[in-house]
Amino acid sequence: MGESEKARSMLGKELQEKVVDGCECIESGGNTGFLKRPTTRRRFLKLGATTVAGLASMSMISAFMANPANAGKVPVIVNSKGVLLADPARCAACRRCELACTEFNNGKSHPVIARVKVYRNLNFGPQGGQYGFYNSQGGKFGNLRVIQDTCKQCPHPVPCADVCPRGAIEASPTTGARVVNPEKCVGCKICMAACPWDMISYDPDTKKATKCFLCNGKPECVAACPTGAIKYIKWRDLTKQTPPRAAVYRQAPDASCATCH
Amino acid sequence: MSVYGWSGKILRVDLSTGRIWTENTLEKYKDYLGATGIGYKVMWDEVPVGVKAFDPENRIIFGGGPLIGSGSPCGGRVAITSLFPTSYPVELIGSGHMGGHWGAELKFAGWDAVIIQGKAANPVWLSIMDDKVEIRDARQLWGSGIYRATAEICAEMGAEAQVAAIGQAGENLVRMACVMTGNSHSAGGIGGVMGSKNLKAIGVRGTGSVKIKADKKEWKELVNYVLSLAGSNNQWVVPSTPQPWAEFHASNSRWTARKGLFWGAANPPVETGTCDPRDMNSIGYRCQKAVFDLGPIAEQFTVRMDGCHSCPIRCHMQISVPTAEKYGVSRYAANTCIGWWGRGVIKTYPDGARGMTALEGAVVGKHMTDDYGVWCNYGQINRDFQYAYEKGILKKVLSEKEYKSIPFDLYEKGSPEFIKDFVRRIAFREGEFGYALGEGSARVAERWGFEEDYYGYSYNIWNRKLGYPKHHSTENGGQVGALINSQYNRDAQCHSHVNFYACGLPLEIQKRLAADVFGSGDAIDAYRNYTPMNVYKAKFAKWSLIRKELHDSLPLCNWMFPWIVSPLKERGYKGDTTIEAKLYSAVTGDKKSEAELDLVAERIFNLHRALTIRGMGTKDMRKEHDLVPDWAYDYPKDAKPFTAGHDKMDREDMQKAFDMFYKECGWDVATGAPTKETYQKLGLGFVADELGKLGLLP
Repeated sequence: MGESEKARSMLGKELQEKVVDGCECIESGGNTGFLKRPTTRRRFLKLGATTVAGLASMSMISAFMANPANAGKVPVIVNSKGVLLADPARCAACRRCELACTEFNNGKSHPVIARVKVYRNLNFGPQGGQYGFYNSQGGKFGNLRVIQDTCKQCPHPVPCADVCPRGAIEASPTTGARVVNPEKCVGCKICMAACPWDMISYDPDTKKATKCFLCNGKPECVAACPTGAIKYIKWRDLTKQTPPRAAVYRQAPDASCATCH
Repeated sequence: MSVYGWSGKILRVDLSTGRIWTENTLEKYKDYLGATGIGYKVMWDEVPVGVKAFDPENRIIFGGGPLIGSGSPCGGRVAITSLFPTSYPVELIGSGHMGGHWGAELKFAGWDAVIIQGKAANPVWLSIMDDKVEIRDARQLWGSGIYRATAEICAEMGAEAQVAAIGQAGENLVRMACVMTGNSHSAGGIGGVMGSKNLKAIGVRGTGSVKIKADKKEWKELVNYVLSLAGSNNQWVVPSTPQPWAEFHASNSRWTARKGLFWGAANPPVETGTCDPRDMNSIGYRCQKAVFDLGPIAEQFTVRMDGCHSCPIRCHMQISVPTAEKYGVSRYAANTCIGWWGRGVIKTYPDGARGMTALEGAVVGKHMTDDYGVWCNYGQINRDFQYAYEKGILKKVLSEKEYKSIPFDLYEKGSPEFIKDFVRRIAFREGEFGYALGEGSARVAERWGFEEDYYGYSYNIWNRKLGYPKHHSTENGGQVGALINSQYNRDAQCHSHVNFYACGLPLEIQKRLAADVFGSGDAIDAYRNYTPMNVYKAKFAKWSLIRKELHDSLPLCNWMFPWIVSPLKERGYKGDTTIEAKLYSAVTGDKKSEAELDLVAERIFNLHRALTIRGMGTKDMRKEHDLVPDWAYDYPKDAKPFTAGHDKMDREDMQKAFDMFYKECGWDVATGAPTKETYQKLGLGFVADELGKLGLLP
């Protein structure tokens, strides 16, 4: 068994353990959830919120793993444990978060791969430059407000993970963050097109995708922010309260989805 | 081979021919670090004596250095070096300085500097998308302000592009024009040089990275160590009000944060708070600069604080003043310090200097000056105007028709409307009024026949020949400030001494810390209570100047560094003057000690001196260049030098100060010109050779 296969089988095992964790969590009133039967995303969220209604059986995961169509893929189902919460009212636009993210993780200063993104909102805010209207919208040329974009660590179905043809975006066994497994990632950039908030980057040095992995539970951006404008909080669903930045590319439902849905 | 810190490439553009090419930074310029160092070297090598600021043969060099974009705290600044348009009668070497994010973006695009020469046939702008560089038609942008030019260039390059642009003032070859980036960051005096090249703007978009040589963990430790020693803006290390963590406080400190002081227009309002120096997540609140610059009234209008790339000290305030819109400008305004100079066009506001009208004047002034791109010569343009108006000179030099067209009634009423009229006339060189004031102080003083009283204390002129005002002169260290103010061809943009003088600590602590750096506590005096000159002050002045060049070239912000002091009682308030060398070594992998890096800085400083000597065609700097104004010796009239309460200097003592300073620098005491040996010691043998041929060595 090769190193990568070993890792894969370990991951499968850990995910199964996570599932158990998830169930316990729900029983104790926590905020992680797991699907029992085919459902819509909306219904899923509702289920997540109404606790015990949808618990999984171990046999489902086993069935999923056994299906040859799912080779190498593990659906990201458990919620992340934590998420970054940025407060734009406190942001002073120094970009030390971007620097901490890439310097302390990657040994280089590289804003376009930063997993917290301020640079693109600096001038004109999230709507971008618009003729004649820039001075009433966001950013330094507008209403002076600068927004820090952070990864929502989406609940299932996780857009970036779902579209990845290699199943390279997985739930971290420790934090639950949706992380790129560099051993699987081939740098096809499909995940970048799928993220509604444009939070996935391509690192030209490694030729792979990279995204927020919550620094394994100790986010560097949080520690580095000189105005305390980013907090690391217990996961909550931020996907509904942040307008998407990008038109979303959705892959047709994968054959693997049919195993559960 | 990987290059760390630097990108390794310099972009060269000849606008006359349209040629674009690349130079290797490290092969050609490593001994000059970056920014001003590279700028001076290019000017020495390529711009012969006799070339004027607005000639196509002049060069304009934009850049940061190895630390820009690296994440070094306070490492976001850019210097723009060229022949300085306001210098008189000969346009000598000078730099404008701007912060923001442009320089970091240039590095991310893969460039250490951009060197422009020639003159385009039509208005153009330069597009730098990583390594794709294009000269683009700017005819549709010519005539538009900086805001619109920025918005349109970003519409082409992407909203995240960083743009350095000139406004109408630069286009119209106004000498008092600036280059602006990021809404509130301007490089003074240099805008007309871009205009003379028909260059409207440089837009930059970079997707690359700055590689750090040090190991990740080591780098993080160093960055956190540096942050732990930071004070507030200008390295004020004590707060302005008593704080639970603070042993001392000083009411004039720029560390204004306290409980109950807010970014009042944030939604919801954000309290600046106690800001314990050990709390790394409140550094950005220390400097609530709006209340410092514009008065307590500005608190409720403060949206947030802002500043340059990578800097945790946020000194640029962002304010929203809805009532300013009655003057036809946006309520949203951002700037800092003298960047609000438009407000000062008006001397007296109806509700006082810190009232609502003055605040509206600040907003109106910001938009006029930052969109038209007009520079102020450190506020001197306002004093030039007010002098000429109050002394009745305007009545004599302007035609009756022009005089009547100027709404002096609005000036007298203290209406911000007047600022709009004033700045427009200068940006468009309207009439004699707009033309002459836009020529800069030395030229307007001669043209309009300013009399001796203009050179008195109240009008701030430091060097009457070159026409620049004092900028942290005798009021910051007596002889030390005077020496520093005598060295450049524009107002001395040096804050190395200020960042120690004005730190807020008691004198005995400052003296103890000064002794560590300069060998004796006698290097520093009590504020406005100076002692006669001594050699430690000469060392302090030299050190301040070479560190300024070091900071401009690395870059690190000279409005923060160097740090003789820190806010930490447990360190005895000691800062760390080796931070520059530590950051440089860690980022580039080129291990240099503090002394070694100071030697590089000294090389850069001496090259500036050599350029001034060559440009002026005289080696007698002492008599011809290094002037101290009479008011420094004569004001206040009845005060005696070296007594408390004023900045009055003594003529004989000041001559002693120059003797000591020149000796410290290795310069000839009689002329103030660097000796051949000094040039050679600094690796500037080629400079000595050329100056020798010109008879300009002492």
